Amino acid sequence: MHSNNFTKMRSMSGLSLSDKFAVIKNNRFVFTALPFFLLLVVIVFFGATTDNFFGATVLTGIFNQAVIFATLAISVSLIYTAGNLDISIGSAMALCSILAANIYISTGSVVLMIISSIALGIVLMSINSTLSTVLNVKAATVGIVMMQIYSAIRETLLGNDAKIVVSYKMSESLESGFRPIAFILFFLLVFIVYTKTPVGRKTRFYGGNANAAIQAGISKVSLQYIGFIICGLGVGLTGIFSLIRTSGVTITTGDGMGMNVMLATVLGGMSIFGGAKSNSYAGLIGALTVAALNKGLLMIGVSAAIVQGVRGLIFLLIIYLSSERQATLPSRQQF
Amino acid sequence: MESKVGAILQVRNLSKNFGVTHALKNVNFDIQCGKICGLIGENGSGKSTASSIIAGMQPATSGEMFYKDKPWKPSSVLEASKAGIAMIVQEAGTIPTVSVAENIFIGKYKQFRKGPIVDKNLMYKEAQKALEIIGVTHIDPTFPTHLYDMQDRKLIELARAMYDDPDILIIDETTTALSHYGREILYKIMHRHAERGKAVIIISHDLDEVMEHCDMLIILRDAEIIDVLERKDFNPDDIKFKMIGREIKGSYYRDDFDGYSDEVVLKAERITTMKDLLAFDLELHKGEILGIGGLSDCGMHTLGRALYGLEDIVRGSVKLPGKNNISITSPKVAFNNGLGYVSKDRDTESLDLNASIFANIASTGYKINSKGPFISAKKEKEYVMTQVNNLAIKCQNVFQPVRNLSGGNKQKVVFGKWTAEDADILILDCPTRGVDIGVKAAMYQLIYQMKKAGKSIVMISEELQELCGMSDRLLILKNGKVSGEFMRTEGFDNTKLINCMI
Repeated sequence: MHSNNFTKMRSMSGLSLSDKFAVIKNNRFVFTALPFFLLLVVIVFFGATTDNFFGATVLTGIFNQAVIFATLAISVSLIYTAGNLDISIGSAMALCSILAANIYISTGSVVLMIISSIALGIVLMSINSTLSTVLNVKAATVGIVMMQIYSAIRETLLGNDAKIVVSYKMSESLESGFRPIAFILFFLLVFIVYTKTPVGRKTRFYGGNANAAIQAGISKVSLQYIGFIICGLGVGLTGIFSLIRTSGVTITTGDGMGMNVMLATVLGGMSIFGGAKSNSYAGLIGALTVAALNKGLLMIGVSAAIVQGVRGLIFLLIIYLSSERQATLPSRQQF
Repeated sequence: MESKVGAILQVRNLSKNFGVTHALKNVNFDIQCGKICGLIGENGSGKSTASSIIAGMQPATSGEMFYKDKPWKPSSVLEASKAGIAMIVQEAGTIPTVSVAENIFIGKYKQFRKGPIVDKNLMYKEAQKALEIIGVTHIDPTFPTHLYDMQDRKLIELARAMYDDPDILIIDETTTALSHYGREILYKIMHRHAERGKAVIIISHDLDEVMEHCDMLIILRDAEIIDVLERKDFNPDDIKFKMIGREIKGSYYRDDFDGYSDEVVLKAERITTMKDLLAFDLELHKGEILGIGGLSDCGMHTLGRALYGLEDIVRGSVKLPGKNNISITSPKVAFNNGLGYVSKDRDTESLDLNASIFANIASTGYKINSKGPFISAKKEKEYVMTQVNNLAIKCQNVFQPVRNLSGGNKQKVVFGKWTAEDADILILDCPTRGVDIGVKAAMYQLIYQMKKAGKSIVMISEELQELCGMSDRLLILKNGKVSGEFMRTEGFDNTKLINCMI
């Protein structure tokens, strides 16, 4: 290992600066470690510059802010890995919240509330997947259409009041116990499915080259359903997280969520085109980074507008670092 | 090979590399005025590469050429043709949608211009003349080119080349597209051209043809010149030996005559596909290497896809008699029943280029390497590492993306994923395409070992030599039908095989 690294460094001495940079950039450990490193930098920086960054309230605040995006981002990881997108998850989540709120108000049962939200999430995402396979349309396209439809349903259900309110007490009781446990269990579930079962491997290979995957006997339809059902589970769970965070649902719940999840995923170091460099935790890292950055910048007194600007810059940097070099060998032409 | 008086073209230390593949290695030869020179050798030996560099189609990687005693480094076909070097290419060289005359004078419309308008009548008249020069009268220069068949289109190309009366005429494997009539015209032109003191280079697979018509032969093998022979030294056995060099390479191909079992393991029953195949029958036996050859559009690639369930079969079926006669309706069914498929298009169909060697090989083993619902890391590692070691895949480590590997090593990864899975029936479409000689030999060894282990192999290839070298039985396809069946035990005769192809 040592001698290998040694020769690698020596062989780089003849390269130009930009080539050296490219070699480092394309190293697989650098690529994997970069998002973690970025998160660490953010934490260390604000830990040093602010008084109580590691205080319980601040960390809880960061977690509260990150948990919704993080859960959604973890849910879509398999969908993204297969090279698909779905931006209807935000509106679908809002529908889950509405159903959950109504069930709780009419029955008073927290268990029923949670089960109904998760069940609806799975049903809605299965609808998306079915439409995509039956109509033979890319799931991303179906997602755009379904986002409109789910939003329209949300507005119709909320009607003139434009919101439903649930009891603050119930919300608070779930925030400290149920929420972190459910979140960790869900993450572990996705992580295990992703890394330890054939489903994750197959999806990743399919996302990299669908033709090669099909020739290796991998079925697109079943993979897509598994991906969307797991996503539905996460969407239903996020419906509850969203409901208890604000103790209710409003007409804007879920808006822009699909896009933000995409940003968090990319920030976490994953390509939205799927394939070999995908993973299950990118969204989590990305969501934590954004939340920590927001909190820290606000704490050192940076205005909200500048926070947004800084976020944009970091985003661009990540995109640049994770972009592929188009260095292909000349193809063999014979005359 | 030294410079001689009368050499119109001298080639010195010419090399051409495609990535890590050497298409030409330090080649030296002279082309003489007044002589017909044959360029012969196996596919991929560098014949076409050499001639296309002379004709300005591609630059050399290194080396020099001297044409009429001046350094020669053409940057385009146009430059070469202006300087007097014309080439008839292997593939279609005419534009089907425009008239015959326009094809003959393509890029040279200026001479017919009257002000801003091209005088078509004048062009047609000149085209008529050009066709008459080569002795062809049945082609109407005003007609659109697509009305004429392959042979006539080749004659149109010949008329175009000869109209300029080139100093060097290069003919690249054109005779395979011509009938007896077309060939006679071509031979006549070649001889007349040489008699007038011009040079002719002909590339051909047909040994009888070159022996009859050439004054000298340059024999290429594996990108190098093996020998240059004068007409008086022509001896078919010697030439064949030098071309193929089987003895020198030892067990490059297999040299046994082991048979195969009578048990049919794969059966295509009158399959008809959307294109190419019509009521096609095929039987593959246990332990058999079944070669499938033909011209590239004969339907053999579609056949390979159809056998693996990748092509829509309109009628008929592909069945596995050993497995309750199950029908292969999709690649998934094929995969689950012990079939494997190596695509001709390796980079887009057989590999995830951005994924690692590990991930690519592991892609066929998700089921085998599972323990309950989980993948066993230990089993998977063993699954992959066995192949990496056995096939000697050259890499820094197995987590390196496949895209950075050489063509030969990429193909080893593809082979690896199927040998790891222990597929019983392998369908190989051009398995040695773009692979260097060393890797080729390793692949042939591997294919032979699989046969020995009782696997059945369908080997589709555009290289007749490897088909002859490896097959137990060889089917030649033409227009989606079997036009000839040959057995290893009876010996393969190249001329007969080629006659079935065209």
